[in-house]
Amino acid sequence: MWSRFAVHDIKLRFKRSIIGPFWLTLSMGVMVGVLGLISSSIFQQNMAGVLPYIAVGLIFWGFLTSCINEGADVFIGSARYIRNIPMQLSIHLYRMIAKNIIILGFNMMIYLLILVIFPQPLNLNYLLVLPGFALYLINVAWAAFVVAVLSARYRDIPHVISNLVQVIFFLTPVFWSAAKLPNRPAFVTWNPVYHMLEIVRSPLLGERPSIVSWSVSAICALAGCACVLLLYRRAYPRISYWV
Amino acid sequence: MARISISKLTVEFAVFGSSARSLKNSILAKATGGRVTFGHRNIVTVRAIDGLDLELRDGDRAALVGPNGSGKSTLLRALSGIYKPTAGHISITGRVGTLLDPKAGLDLEATGYENIYLRGYLLGMSTREIQTKMDYIAGFTELGDFLSLPMKTYSEGMVARLAFAISTAPENDILLVDEGIGAVDEGFQEKAEKRIAQIFDRASIVILASHSEKLLERFCNCRIHMDRGKLVERTMPHPAP
Repeated sequence: MWSRFAVHDIKLRFKRSIIGPFWLTLSMGVMVGVLGLISSSIFQQNMAGVLPYIAVGLIFWGFLTSCINEGADVFIGSARYIRNIPMQLSIHLYRMIAKNIIILGFNMMIYLLILVIFPQPLNLNYLLVLPGFALYLINVAWAAFVVAVLSARYRDIPHVISNLVQVIFFLTPVFWSAAKLPNRPAFVTWNPVYHMLEIVRSPLLGERPSIVSWSVSAICALAGCACVLLLYRRAYPRISYWV
Repeated sequence: MARISISKLTVEFAVFGSSARSLKNSILAKATGGRVTFGHRNIVTVRAIDGLDLELRDGDRAALVGPNGSGKSTLLRALSGIYKPTAGHISITGRVGTLLDPKAGLDLEATGYENIYLRGYLLGMSTREIQTKMDYIAGFTELGDFLSLPMKTYSEGMVARLAFAISTAPENDILLVDEGIGAVDEGFQEKAEKRIAQIFDRASIVILASHSEKLLERFCNCRIHMDRGKLVERTMPHPAP
């Protein structure tokens, strides 16, 4: 059911535009192109090396931010549904995540296009993206759930979150690379978001993510699921009263 | 075989004032600690339903009456599972259908047909169930080609028609209805009432909250009178007139 709603959301958003959801692809493409141009001229790197890195980074970062930012509005925005129609509340969350996965799919075309233009030697590391993305998805999903529940209760949370996401964007090597730095700053080494991003980004660039990145992501996922369980017990039945 | 039994049901709302709802004050309340602020953090609690006991059986067509704010809508929401009871217990046998806000879940940007599907899914219908009923629903609205247009082009009455037609499509054992059916012209009003009568015949238990004596007299065979969250009077069903 939530997947039907997700498709409906996408359809609706681009209803009267000519190229429809390809706007997503186009705007992401422009963003990647411009950032690629800037960093290749500033850091004197060749486009072929920089573009795939920036594309994958931005695409997956975009997925994370929209899930979390929209997560803040998942329950608040569906107040009319929640108060009038008996249904599983988690459907609202799944609907939002499913919608963003579809958007992610459209954005991944940029990545494929870059691969076609600058062909890379394929290796087995590319397959690691499957477990990597699964783990990434778990992490995004629990974060979205936690944000959604807290936002329904405390109306300051959405504002706090959108600020926080912005800050993390600059602290995390999304469009700049940590590998180029002589010694890695602490806010990268200890940044869980960096490690989460690494486990999807490295495989897509044909590299093997480090064990540290895998373990940090796994620990985050476990801790997050514990949070979700706790919140589910304590807060979930109250959500319909809060919205 | 449908049945509703409610024992000692209590539903309480915590009303978060502008002060209690913000994080700052919660943290301040914790930080400035003290026993004084911890206990009462400015949250007003409203007891919408207070220790209600009620038993409904097959064939009950209950009229839920009482002044504004007596807990009628809250009771329906608690029965439909939207509000989890603060205390007490509800046990229900049978598939519950609700007609609380007929327009909830309708999307003004989507077409009439799309809305029939969306709303149908929300009401727990499968794609096949909706498809088999599509002709009937579409016919009932009398909207014709308008169904292929976005709902924002509809008039108030047309929206009400569509909302009513979709909401009354699924088959349920227990039906919870809140208030009337909205602004529709007289012809449709008559048709809608006929439809309500049909549904009432089909469902085993109906609870209808309304202020319209005419409506209640016509459709109901027993009465649940609430006031300030408590049960004031409950009459047993008499043979329908």
